Amino acid sequence: MTAEAEDAPAAESSTGRPPRVALPPAARAFQGRRAGVVTRTAASVIDGIVVVALLVGAYCVVAGAKFMVNPHTFTFPEVSAFLGLTSFFFVLVGYLTATWATTGRSYGDHVMGLRVRGRHGRRLGWAWSFIRAVACAVFPIGLFWVLLSRDNYSVQDLLLRTSVVYDWREGN
Amino acid sequence: MDVLEAAEKAWDLVPDPVARPLEEAATGVLAAALAGSLWARDLVVGTADQVVRQVGPAAVRAVLDEMDLTALVRERVDLDAVASDLNVDDVVARVDVDAIVERVDLDAVVERLDLDAVVSRVDIDAVVDRLDLDAIVERVDVGQVVARVDLDAVAARLDIDAVVNRLDLVALANEVVEGIDLPGIIRESSGSMASEVVRGVRLQGVEADEAIARTLGRFLPGRRPRVRPEGAT
Repeated sequence: MTAEAEDAPAAESSTGRPPRVALPPAARAFQGRRAGVVTRTAASVIDGIVVVALLVGAYCVVAGAKFMVNPHTFTFPEVSAFLGLTSFFFVLVGYLTATWATTGRSYGDHVMGLRVRGRHGRRLGWAWSFIRAVACAVFPIGLFWVLLSRDNYSVQDLLLRTSVVYDWREGN
Repeated sequence: MDVLEAAEKAWDLVPDPVARPLEEAATGVLAAALAGSLWARDLVVGTADQVVRQVGPAAVRAVLDEMDLTALVRERVDLDAVASDLNVDDVVARVDVDAIVERVDLDAVVERLDLDAVVSRVDIDAVVDRLDLDAIVERVDVGQVVARVDLDAVAARLDIDAVVNRLDLVALANEVVEGIDLPGIIRESSGSMASEVVRGVRLQGVEADEAIARTLGRFLPGRRPRVRPEGAT
């Protein structure tokens, strides 16, 4: 892959995308380029916070249901470390799969102005999104291969032929 | 007239020495007769008065006992005519209602009332139809009413188990999940976030990426930065 091809906005090579809004002038210089480790790590941290928030919400729903079923003997449900980590893993995989397959960006990606693309800049399908989500959840440290990669690829990107690019435009 | 005139003329012919004693005698007789008649009249009147006083009340009571005055009045008196002649306003104006009310023992009256019978004769529907419930409700301070309600006591009386048992939680959960447009929510939450703060965070992230890449490029010969936004240092 040539530098021109890599530097070209990845989004413009895909097909069937919705209308774009005007790109902010400050983002035109790096629009479509592969993102570095700082923005991607920040996006991952934000996604982790989102997943934790979802789990806390689910915990509150379960506690509320338990209270409704038997309010007299109600106590807050206990969550073991194993259950917590397992739940975090599955919710994270589901959350990343859904967001990457539908909009091409998780909430953390959106905040940091990033978008996950597949080959030729296309948006990932559900299956590919799921595989990438599992890979990221199982081996999150693979993100830091970006520090060593001249093309800002993570381990997951190299294995699955994906990339994460700067994309400040709204929509998917 | 002829007789009286003739008698007067004849009396005028009688000589005074004869007539005067006769007149004096006649006058005395007449005076005595008058006095006697007055005495007799007083005697009769006094006696009659005593008789009436002593016998009258008993006789009247005896007569009244024998009579049905109510029937007699109904038969003989035109009560409608009497009532029509009455000026009821004047009568009512002369009545001291306050004094009457003060003399009434309302507690005793209420105790003697058969309220159940009274209420059973009330046409509640007609009463309700005449009520302006909207106006009444507007005047109710609902907040004050709720503040006086002991919600803890109400909640303690609730059978929550029975309520929960009647809920189809599975169907309810499925309905909620089906109603959630997760992709739409994600798109909407993603698309609605475009503030200057986010723009600043993104720009700082890009600059930090570039700085990291430049630094690493100095130590790793095979790595060179590919991101160079305009104006970045």
